[in-house]
Amino acid sequence: MTDKNTALVQGTLDMLILKTLALEPMHAHGIGVRIEQISQGVFLVNAGSLFPALKRLERAGWVESDWRSTENSRRAKYYVLTAAGRKQLKSETRDWKTQSVAIARILEA
Amino acid sequence: MSTFRKLTAGFKELMRKKQSESELDEELNAYVQNAAETKVRDGATPEEALRLARLEVGGRETVKHQVRAVGWEFALEVFAQDVRYGVRMLLKSPLFAAVALTTIAIGVGANTAIFSLVDSILLRPLPYPEPQRLVAAGTNQLGDSQMSPMGNADFLAWRDRQQSFEQVAVLGGAGGSFALSGLGEPERIPGVDVSADFFSIFRIAPLKGRGFYFGEDRPGAPGVAVISEQFWGNHLGSDPNVLNRTLTLDGKQYTIVGVMPADFRFPPRETVDVWAIRTLNPATARPPFGLHALGRLKPKVSMRQAAAELDQIVSQVNAQYPSSTPLAGVMMPMKVWMVSEVSTALLVLLGAIALLLLIAVVNVANLLLARATIRQREMAVRMALGASRKRVVRQLLTESAVLSLLGGVLGLLLAYLAIRAFLAFGPGQMPRLNEVGINSGVLLFTFVVCVGSGILFGLAPALETSRPALSDPLKDANRSSSSASAHRTHRALLVFQVALALLLMIGSGLLIRSFVRLSDVSPGIQRDHVITAALSLSNKYSDPQIPQFWKQFLEKVQALPSVEAAGISMSLPPNLLEITNPFTVEGQGYDPHRKLQLADEMSVSPDYFRALGIPLIKGRFFSPADRVEGEKDPKIVIINQSMAKQYFSGRDPIGGRIQTGDPNPSSPWETIVGVVGDVKYSGLDSGSKPTIYVPYNENGWAGWAWSMYLVVRSSGSAAQIVPAIRAELAGMDNTLPLAHVRTMDELLGASLVQQRFRTWLITGFAALALLLSAIGIYALISYSVSQRTREIGVRVALGAQRSNVLRMVLREGLQLLVFGLLLGWVGAFSATRVMRSLLYSTSTTDAVSFVATSITLIVVALLACYIPARRATKVDPMVALRYE
Repeated sequence: MTDKNTALVQGTLDMLILKTLALEPMHAHGIGVRIEQISQGVFLVNAGSLFPALKRLERAGWVESDWRSTENSRRAKYYVLTAAGRKQLKSETRDWKTQSVAIARILEA
Repeated sequence: MSTFRKLTAGFKELMRKKQSESELDEELNAYVQNAAETKVRDGATPEEALRLARLEVGGRETVKHQVRAVGWEFALEVFAQDVRYGVRMLLKSPLFAAVALTTIAIGVGANTAIFSLVDSILLRPLPYPEPQRLVAAGTNQLGDSQMSPMGNADFLAWRDRQQSFEQVAVLGGAGGSFALSGLGEPERIPGVDVSADFFSIFRIAPLKGRGFYFGEDRPGAPGVAVISEQFWGNHLGSDPNVLNRTLTLDGKQYTIVGVMPADFRFPPRETVDVWAIRTLNPATARPPFGLHALGRLKPKVSMRQAAAELDQIVSQVNAQYPSSTPLAGVMMPMKVWMVSEVSTALLVLLGAIALLLLIAVVNVANLLLARATIRQREMAVRMALGASRKRVVRQLLTESAVLSLLGGVLGLLLAYLAIRAFLAFGPGQMPRLNEVGINSGVLLFTFVVCVGSGILFGLAPALETSRPALSDPLKDANRSSSSASAHRTHRALLVFQVALALLLMIGSGLLIRSFVRLSDVSPGIQRDHVITAALSLSNKYSDPQIPQFWKQFLEKVQALPSVEAAGISMSLPPNLLEITNPFTVEGQGYDPHRKLQLADEMSVSPDYFRALGIPLIKGRFFSPADRVEGEKDPKIVIINQSMAKQYFSGRDPIGGRIQTGDPNPSSPWETIVGVVGDVKYSGLDSGSKPTIYVPYNENGWAGWAWSMYLVVRSSGSAAQIVPAIRAELAGMDNTLPLAHVRTMDELLGASLVQQRFRTWLITGFAALALLLSAIGIYALISYSVSQRTREIGVRVALGAQRSNVLRMVLREGLQLLVFGLLLGWVGAFSATRVMRSLLYSTSTTDAVSFVATSITLIVVALLACYIPARRATKVDPMVALRYE
């Protein structure tokens, strides 16, 4: 159960989180909600994938975290994109675009 | 992500484990709160929102687990956890742990011990700088494969003409010794004589003083000697002014010029107290042979080039001595020369011990399998709770690794003790024994063996236990039908084990047969009541004085009470042969290309034959009345029966004539006066060879008689007679030591030490193998009986006789046995071939050994089956049925 849902989604989820954080620092739940909203409900991110992904990104040095208070003055851990993360996002987006165009071409051929 | 970053992140995580754990908890709380608030905003009641939010997060522990699993340090934690669990499981079943650990410890310990021998004797390079450049050289007869020591002429020619070596040197026959006088009681000390460049070849710095200088082996140079550290300590009291002191060796003065450190031992088989300079006289003839030549190759010169050069020089020497038999030059790496005798025996031992380890591993695997069926329930629970099969297998393998490493530590302890025992009680005459020990290479070997056997015995049970048959074991553990496949693995392993045990037993059977035959070999003498000793005269005795001394001395010994006969000889049975000599029988011709006929030749006193009880077949013994000392006196010899049969078939050898030495028409003729029974002089396992005896006082032989073996047949005990002999000797010359005093029984026993030792060792291994297999069979059948208690109960209730039950259970064991035996026979037929050189007149497929060991195995195995089978017959049907 640890490794079932990560293989395929992992890269994508990491990229989506980076993209979400590129707009503003957010806490875990906020990230999940934002991805759900923007994808119009296509991607439902559960805690079981979200937290390991955040941990991975943090350990890679692409995001940093600190405790801040939320808009309704609760404490939550906010994640911030680092410079390295921004670079990573850029390269991942580029790769993704190349790949998805290629895949689309193959599927439509 | 860089490896460094991963590493540091992992360590940081390990350091602040508690903190990050609580942080994660807090973050998850916040997540639930946030989620709930979002839901309230969307219109849910607060309670409902909280419930939904909790549901959404799912199992908190699962999430936490997943987060933890991101880092590599998690694997480490799991491993530590598994190790802790493994140790706990072992502690929970101490009997199982004890049996398994002992089995592994014996297997690993024995392997480590034998491997440390193999490693230090065969594998490790010689302990000298750049050992790959050290070679041993010699000559052989054309077409002969063995390397024989060099002749004087060959060595001198080689020394002067060779271009391939930095230094070359010779040492006299290994096993040499010197008579030391002038330091208290005269005694015999182990030593060799070596030429000047001997120490430069090894490049080992002396502890004190120096080695020999170039040219110190020239005729006329003063005698110099180098002593060992041990000798310096126990004979000279570690005298700091030891240099320039003199030693009297064989009556000659030597100045001590150096002390070698204790760990320098060459020749490597025995301790050496003194290296004395050997004077190399210019060659007047090719002999004497018997020089062991050594050399250090120049850098970038291959041994092949050097060997070709030596061969060329030897063929020049052939041309120089046209009447001598043509020889070829041969060379081998020094290490090969040093260890070739023992390498087969050691490798066979290593093979045998590896088999024993495999048998032990199978036993442990079977133990684990038996437990596996019990633990299947536990594993099913784990897997039902979500553990992957990989995870369960990993845990079980960790458990067996714990088992094998613990066993390995115990095994190392055993190995250490075994090596100590081997060095103390084993056969001392092995090369490089002083280098034997447990070193890092051996430790690595042990570790690999442990891990390897851990995986070997752990894998089958682990796969078995973790078979994804979820429902069965959970439902009902008693009637575990899912253990059928475990049982199959179990049985296959057992067949394998029986085969291995049989292989080892057949090997040991062959060795025993060979050893019994060897012990039964008659040395050709009456071995009881014979005392032998070595006695060398100093060089103050001139050649004519030597026979006079012996004559007087023998008369005095003969006159002692209880002495029946006293004689002297240059060589002694069973393996103390000093020289061989070519011979020509009258009428044979002198073709120099005929293969040289060699005979053991020795000078003896008239009563030597009576003292040893060598039977006279024809003619007469020598007599004190024989006049042989003058140059013109006719020469007489006695030959042995083999020589008489081979070279005088169909005619009377008495009165026949032979010449000795290289074939040469002008050599003097020697007349045969007697034929005696064959005596073994070069080992009990040697074939029958021609032997020529000459009178010790014959012209030309007197000079050889300075060092002789004394043989005394006496009705009294050695304790009475030896002091009397010593007293007579001291009365004649109090500087001469009577050395190596042994009974003939002792000499015969000592000559078989190596064979006896390896036979016992392998037999010990085989016995252990038999025991382990018997335990294995017993355990399997007991287990199978306990599994079938209910079935047996039903059968008995339905009217099965006790004998039916017995037969049923025995049949299962027999089946395994038959398969195991077949497999073992096939293995033995192909594997025993490697033992050929260790066997004396025993074929590697000796039927008696094969059959006898197989029967032993069958009997023991059936006994091992019978005990649980009998228990099965006692099953009370009522109890068995109620067992449900």
